[in-house]
Amino acid sequence: MTAVIQTKNLSKWYGNVLGLSDVSLEVEQGVTGLLGPNGAGKSTFLKLITGQIKPSIGHVAIQGQDVWNNYPLFGRIGFCPEQDAFYDEMTGWEFMTSLLSLYSFSRADVQSRAEKALDFVELDKDKDRLIRGYSRGMRQRLKLAQAVAHDPEIIILDEPLNGLDPLSKRKVIRLIKDYKEAGKTVIVSSHVLPEIEALTRTIILLHQGKILARGDIHYIRDLIDKHPHMISVKCSDPRRLASSLVGEPSVLNIQFGPGPDTVVFETQDRDKFFGLIPRLIVDHRIDVEEITSPDDNLQAVFDYLVGK
Amino acid sequence: MTMSHNAVRSIFSFFFFLGRKARKTKVFFLISGLPVLVALIIQINRLFAPGSGIDGPAIFSSVIMAFNLQFLILVLALFYGTSICSEELEGKTLTYLTTRPAAKSAIILGKYAAYAAFLILMVAAAVILSFLILNVERLLDLSAWLAMIKGLGVLALGLMCYMAFFTLVGTFLKKSILFGLFFSFGWENIVQYFPGSTQKFTIMHYLKSLLPAASTGSAGKLSFLTFKLEPSPAGTAVATLVILTAVFLGLACLVFSKKEYIFED
Repeated sequence: MTAVIQTKNLSKWYGNVLGLSDVSLEVEQGVTGLLGPNGAGKSTFLKLITGQIKPSIGHVAIQGQDVWNNYPLFGRIGFCPEQDAFYDEMTGWEFMTSLLSLYSFSRADVQSRAEKALDFVELDKDKDRLIRGYSRGMRQRLKLAQAVAHDPEIIILDEPLNGLDPLSKRKVIRLIKDYKEAGKTVIVSSHVLPEIEALTRTIILLHQGKILARGDIHYIRDLIDKHPHMISVKCSDPRRLASSLVGEPSVLNIQFGPGPDTVVFETQDRDKFFGLIPRLIVDHRIDVEEITSPDDNLQAVFDYLVGK
Repeated sequence: MTMSHNAVRSIFSFFFFLGRKARKTKVFFLISGLPVLVALIIQINRLFAPGSGIDGPAIFSSVIMAFNLQFLILVLALFYGTSICSEELEGKTLTYLTTRPAAKSAIILGKYAAYAAFLILMVAAAVILSFLILNVERLLDLSAWLAMIKGLGVLALGLMCYMAFFTLVGTFLKKSILFGLFFSFGWENIVQYFPGSTQKFTIMHYLKSLLPAASTGSAGKLSFLTFKLEPSPAGTAVATLVILTAVFLGLACLVFSKKEYIFED
């Protein structure tokens, strides 16, 4: 398959601060997840491939064309930025139609595209309200609408699921999958692994400005599964729960605290552990208030992968 | 560097609409209305105290025009010209424009044209209202109307030239307002009074060269504005202002196209 986006030795410094280092990759049609903790260089990478910033070293091309200042190319790209920034004095409708008028659409086409996009993100009823009065979720949906309203071939979404409620998230995930089926190229960045898992199997892992891994998401999932997990259970009888799991081979370590009603288990087989817990809770009539994974976040996984 | 007229027109519509709704426009609309208020007070005073010696038309051609030329157009050009680039950076909205199929020069030109158009309308409205109030007895005097129209033309030229300069400054300088204040009320207000050819290094020199009092060389109603002015010929003044505007805008487009803008976190 032909690469839609190509980068070669792509590097970016902000003064003395490294944003991205020696990234060479090819992105093909379909959905690619860009995964990394905050500050990993995801937004820098997306800004470089959308021509908002210039590479310090290296080269970036979309469909074989240089990106920097190649504005005719931008008609084929839709970009949803991470920052929560708008022309607040505008209404949602004015915002959409104003941006769409920058393409060579007829007035009628601008209006129908704006209507369709606002309808999709369920802002049609609020389209005449000032953006200043929109909630975080509404603003996020509006950003997404402006990125897809012109029906681009390449869609680049920087943390698009931030601030969305579960229903809206599902809808956006569905939309992204529809774009994939339509043969479009979508790059989605996120620092939340399950979000990316719900979207695609093809991922690029960024850490400290470098590509840590790329390929199938199962690869990273396997690495995560080998990573010992901490699972904290806040319940009515933590000692009883702990004693029932002492002999369990999948449990490596048990610690009490931080509070009197909390016990923390370390396990190397998370799935098996979560399979056991419900039965034990029922058998021992233990009231569970909360089960959390203190280290089940991407930063912990990255720390593990880089051997910290 | 190519661009389409459609892109400039779309950006113009975008910001002509948005600029009018901006909060700062409401503030500057009130400031631009101050001369109207002054004109009203003067006219009311003349009605209640006839023969007080206050000459309405003279007040119009000196105080009102002086306020517009020496203060209002400078302030408007400074705040709107520098904001063409800086408000997009501070508001982090630049992304929405630079990821569209529109040349960066079209963004600058379209936004400049939009702001210049509604600022000229704003100033013109205030000037015409002040004129009507202060010249209520001379509304059939064609020469008064012609003088007012000429004054408006000078203000429009000044606004466009200063705004082009501040647009350029805004594209490469972060503290553009501070620099603009020094330029407007330091350089422009001082160097214009220098004798010899030094005063020709100010935009104000060319604007004042177009004022009636200056061109006649008499100590007319605008004499205090044209103190020590050694006027350039009207044609030279207009050509210089037009060329300066074009050069400033061209440079602004060039800087904006080449420069990389990074949002501050």
